[in-house]
Amino acid sequence: MILDWLLPVLLLSVLALALAGAVRRVSLWRAGQPSPVNIISGLMAMPRRYLVDLHHVVERDKYMSNTHVATAGGFVLSLVLILLVHLFGIESKLLAWALLASSVLMFVGATFVYKRRKNPPSRLSKGPWMRLPKSLLVFSATFFIITLPAAGILPEGFGGWVLALILAAGVVWGLGEMVFGMTWGGPMKHAFAGALHLAFHRRPERFGGGRSTGLKPVDLDAPVLGVQKPTDFKWNQLLGFDACVQCGKCEAMCPAFAAGQPLNPKKLIQDMVIGLAGGTDAKFAGSPYPGIELGNAKGGPDSTITEGLVNPDTLWSCTTCRACVEECPMMIEHVDAIVDMRRFLTLEKGNTPGKGAEVLDNLIATDNPNGFEPGSRMNWAADQNLKVMSEVKEADVLFWVSDGAFDMRSQRILRAFVKLLKAANVDFAVLGDEERDSGDVARRLGDDATFQSLAKRNVAVMNQYRFKRIVTTDPHAFHVLKNEYGDFGGHYEVLHHTTFINELVKEGRIQLGAHKGGTVTYHDPCYLGRYNGEYESPRELLAALGIQVAEMERSGFRSRCCGGGGGAPITDIPGERRIADMRMEDANATGAELVAVGCQQCTAMLEGVVEPRPEVKDIAELVADVLVESAEPASRKRDELAVEVA
Amino acid sequence: MQPELNIVALVSVGQHPKSGRARRAEQDARAVELGLRLSGEKVQVLHAGDVAEESLRSYAGMGLKQLRVLQQSAGADASLALGDYLSEHQPDIVLTGVRAESGESSGMTPYLLAEKLGWPLVTRIADIAKIENGEAEILQALPRGQRRAIKVRLPFVASVDNAAEAPRQSAYGPGRRAQLEPLPWVEAADEVRASFDEAPARKRPKRLKMVKAKTAAERFKAATAKSQGGGGRIMKDEPPREQAQAIFDLLLEEGVLR
Amino acid sequence: MSDIIRRDPRAEWIARNRLHPLHAEMAAPVAETRGPSGLIRKNPHAVGFIGPNGIKRIDRMGGNSAAVGMRRGAKSAQQVELPLHKVESPDFYVVAVVDMVGGRLTGHDKDVLGQAHKLIRGAEGNGAVMAVVFGEHKEEAFDKAGVDRLLHLTGSEFDGYCPEQKVANLVEIEKQYQPRYWLFPDSINGGNELGCRLAARLGERPATQAWQVDRETSVCRGSGGLQDITRATPRLLLLAEECADQIDETRHEVLAVELDTRPSIINRLQDCGQVAVDPNSVSLAEAEFILSAGNGIRDWEQFHKAAEVLGATEGASRVAVDDGYMPRFRQVGATGTWVTARVYVAVGISGAVQHMQGIGQCDKVVAVNTDAGCDMVKRADLSVIGDSQKVLEQLIELARDYRQGGAENAA
Ligand SMILES: Cc1cc2nc3c(=O)[nH]c(=O)nc-3n(C[C@H](O)[C@H](O)[C@H](O)COP(=O)(O)OP(=O)(O)OC[C@H]3O[C@@H](n4cnc5c(N)ncnc54)[C@H](O)[C@@H]3O)c2cc1C
Ligand code: SF4
Ligand code: SF4
Repeated sequence: MILDWLLPVLLLSVLALALAGAVRRVSLWRAGQPSPVNIISGLMAMPRRYLVDLHHVVERDKYMSNTHVATAGGFVLSLVLILLVHLFGIESKLLAWALLASSVLMFVGATFVYKRRKNPPSRLSKGPWMRLPKSLLVFSATFFIITLPAAGILPEGFGGWVLALILAAGVVWGLGEMVFGMTWGGPMKHAFAGALHLAFHRRPERFGGGRSTGLKPVDLDAPVLGVQKPTDFKWNQLLGFDACVQCGKCEAMCPAFAAGQPLNPKKLIQDMVIGLAGGTDAKFAGSPYPGIELGNAKGGPDSTITEGLVNPDTLWSCTTCRACVEECPMMIEHVDAIVDMRRFLTLEKGNTPGKGAEVLDNLIATDNPNGFEPGSRMNWAADQNLKVMSEVKEADVLFWVSDGAFDMRSQRILRAFVKLLKAANVDFAVLGDEERDSGDVARRLGDDATFQSLAKRNVAVMNQYRFKRIVTTDPHAFHVLKNEYGDFGGHYEVLHHTTFINELVKEGRIQLGAHKGGTVTYHDPCYLGRYNGEYESPRELLAALGIQVAEMERSGFRSRCCGGGGGAPITDIPGERRIADMRMEDANATGAELVAVGCQQCTAMLEGVVEPRPEVKDIAELVADVLVESAEPASRKRDELAVEVA
Repeated sequence: MQPELNIVALVSVGQHPKSGRARRAEQDARAVELGLRLSGEKVQVLHAGDVAEESLRSYAGMGLKQLRVLQQSAGADASLALGDYLSEHQPDIVLTGVRAESGESSGMTPYLLAEKLGWPLVTRIADIAKIENGEAEILQALPRGQRRAIKVRLPFVASVDNAAEAPRQSAYGPGRRAQLEPLPWVEAADEVRASFDEAPARKRPKRLKMVKAKTAAERFKAATAKSQGGGGRIMKDEPPREQAQAIFDLLLEEGVLR
Repeated sequence: MSDIIRRDPRAEWIARNRLHPLHAEMAAPVAETRGPSGLIRKNPHAVGFIGPNGIKRIDRMGGNSAAVGMRRGAKSAQQVELPLHKVESPDFYVVAVVDMVGGRLTGHDKDVLGQAHKLIRGAEGNGAVMAVVFGEHKEEAFDKAGVDRLLHLTGSEFDGYCPEQKVANLVEIEKQYQPRYWLFPDSINGGNELGCRLAARLGERPATQAWQVDRETSVCRGSGGLQDITRATPRLLLLAEECADQIDETRHEVLAVELDTRPSIINRLQDCGQVAVDPNSVSLAEAEFILSAGNGIRDWEQFHKAAEVLGATEGASRVAVDDGYMPRFRQVGATGTWVTARVYVAVGISGAVQHMQGIGQCDKVVAVNTDAGCDMVKRADLSVIGDSQKVLEQLIELARDYRQGGAENAA
């Protein structure tokens, strides 16, 4: 019987080829920059990361999650058993039966994959990925049949030559796709790269329910700043790109893609794969970057990415909203990659588009993005009588005002918040003219030099004073202070104003009436929600005002960006629509008359939508509107007066 | 692009109008930009002052490999040193800004250099359209976007106006790595300048439109005239013709109709 | 106003005092003149004067008693001639080289002339203000602006842009007259350039952007306007606008003076003339007059037509750009261009903050909008509440009429 000797030979040679493929793939990754990982503990943690963390994401799509468990579980089990039964020739009915069972499991899973692929949504890649369900079916069916004799169900040598030949072909196809393709590069590559990617992830904090969203600092003394060519990425970033399954979940969530800007996060990751391995995008079988034709991009490990592989506009379209990262089942870090490449464009090329160069110059010269006089930072509070840290040196709460201080609309939010702080008798102070831009925009625009300079000076100022916590109304400053200043010696407890106000309400330190008016919806700011996991406080506060939030279809961790992050309004890459308009449509769909937000940038973006549209208000404003000014501070004032008079 | 063109752009330390912080000066940066566009990386950028001055790096970040500094102390007269250097090196074109953003801001440097070198000076240029057979065709910036064409033979000095192409963004990395080459230079102290008394600018009161009322009637008219500043005039119910007429009158009065 | 006839003792006194510098003006018109044929003519109307009670009196004092002694309150006020300021055989000159934009003295020129007199007033000796004018001019009121002497240099060599020619002449003036001060308007209309060129030629260190000047010290703006430099007043000054009060209470002689040697030089700068710049190709940032379109425009043809006949540079709000009606480089605002126009006409633009950021430096803003409550109307100096289409239509007609049918003829 030919299969008796052919099968082990095939298995062995495919394994050998797979090994060669693995060596090649690993060497491609190793061309990247060093990045320290703990290999042993990473590998040890991998199964848990796969079974818990990854599945936590996949589970959002129950159908796919079950399908994947069946197919992948069936495949892994089958492969092990195939090696035992057909390569090592262990004659055990039990093993053979187990193999039959696992291949059935895999077959069932594969049929579901097949069904999904019958009419695939546009986010899914076609091409080789359309072949995969068939390969899965062939693989499982072939090994099922081949194993029947071993299980004693059918006699040896049944079916004769013809069947043997068909089965041999099936084995070649199945093994080629599933084993050799896994390491050499095919749809199954995701299993190999994905497993290692989970083991050696650059942000291991993300596993086990943690969060890691701060960008990593650039070494400003490096010979090239930022990522110029694929090999400038860290090796485990390259590995991560290879893990992509082209599921397009990121594409479906990306606001820039939806707005017709030339960005598709899935395509971007695939372009990185092209870059690390060399080649063109002619075979890419998914949606292109809107407005950019397929087939013209080429790259290689040592060629400059933005010259031929990825158009810089693609990188500048991103709002750094992290919707893609949040959604990616393979936990790939799109935003890190995008900002890394932007760093090269800004720090090495001096090519920040739109108003980028001007904003950065202003940040350098005046510490604020619009070039206002640094000494006028406190003008908004001329009538507010705020304590300034340089005078009091100490306070319970440091109120980080942010650049909203220069903007008339944002000042309304700031005043509302101050009103609440005063009503609750919070001991707070501001930095006044000593405050500088947090550096958020500079960093997202790729100018880490300016970011670091701002961060260091801000940290130096803050470290002179004593305070317990920082509170800010700006989620971007909130994120940066909380998650990115640590690298520069600034470790603080930072709260967003909604969290803080919520605390005050819960402690009964401010009394509130009820909000009057129509339907209200709430827009989660990306830098509050996805970056920092604060979804509840704003909603609790709104509930405390007697508001029942009419949630938008995309809310919470799936909230759609307003278009204001990552310097996107500054680089202003044209698309077919405005992201803010789409978000306003989301809000309109709830029938809301008011959109509550927790961010001055979101306020600006949403108010930039042409009327008629729902009103936009910060939660601080909503709360301040219904604040019941308690009699207590007033009576105290009267006492003080009396004392003065006496 | 002319292959052998030898262009020197002179740069000073600028000052941000709001924060007063040192930066690359806007016009000088435009001079460098023009130089870069005319002769690529070969443009020579020259500063008289302190090689340790950080803001020079922001010129370097425009893509210069090297920047020469005639080493001088703060009180020295830069135009003398620059004049000596240029007479020695005899470039084809010397580009400067119109007025410095710091110090005396007199705008005399290009004039003094042209005088010293005996070269023609073209002021406030917006662009150099072409250079052919030793002759340059220059566009001079006139107020409000107008341009004048001027021809001049090399060598010459030109001061670059704000209307010239905006300078490219300065990139941090190349700026860091560029070589700032200090040249020790004989310096002449600027004694006149030393006698200056410098203080932050005082606000200049705007001259009031003085109505020299010769008669009581005129005085009365002046006193009752609607003040110009207080809010805009709103025309709501007039017919379109009248409204348009009001707009038209304003255009005439402002002299923007040509 | 009362028509009571009042006596003006000062005028009478001047009329009597033949040594007074203003005597000639205040004296009554001469009653006897020699006519063109050589005969003595009597002017009966000029004889005598109106007495305090309105009765005509014959003057027996040879014209030394003045009819101007009486003034008729309000009605005659306009006709009062300003006193003539005379400088005979000046001891020194203060030379003001004026810009003469469009052939007339500019406000800035008049400030400089005012400053010139300020430098003379109270100085020892007789100083005269000499204005230097190059080429043809249309100015008729040099006397009222304070010009004692006028050096008018004409000739084809002053046609077009010829700073080198002018400076060579100034150098001759320096030789011939040795002015005590050289004054220039520190302006982009030529004053700054000539002043600097002359300073470099003469080896003078000028005061630039000088805004408070007396004979001892000058206060100048330095550091790009951030600092005031106080320094000893040099011989050559480039004066800021409104440096001194303009002359408005005297008339001046405007005596012509000559330059003995006219230098001949070779111009190294060859003026090839002004380049025709289409207002719509002027960059937004430099444009002087912008007609800007927003979401309130329906008829885009009409809008373009309006911009064309008005000679305005086109601008747009972001919505107009997003909707594809205007190209991106026309966008005004935070993410577009920051404009500095003298007049900004916003048609159908609501005035969102991001748009307003871009027009912060505009002098005059005109709003055309259907909504009287919108932010643009709050900012505007003139707001027209109405449909943009109708207003533009009328505006186009007005502009056509103004250009005297130029548009029709061209068609
Ligand atoms: C980050 C960001 C950056 C932005 N940058 C810019 C920028 O640089 N520049 C910019 O312009 N915008 C910018 N915007 C957009 C800005 O917020 C506004 O959406 C935009 O300026 C509105 O344009 P508009 O006034 O033309 O439209 P609308 O707000 O729709 O206003 C139209 C106006 O026309 C009036 N109107 C309607 N019909 C008529 C009629 N028949 N006759 C007369 N009037 C009529 C209406 O009363 C209304 O006032 C930005 C927004 C964001 C969020
Ligand atoms: S961060 Fe947001 S905008 Fe950027 S690629 Fe991801 S989804 Fe798109
Ligand atoms: S990057 Fe992630 S979400 Fe996007 S296609 Fe790849 S695996 Fe899917």
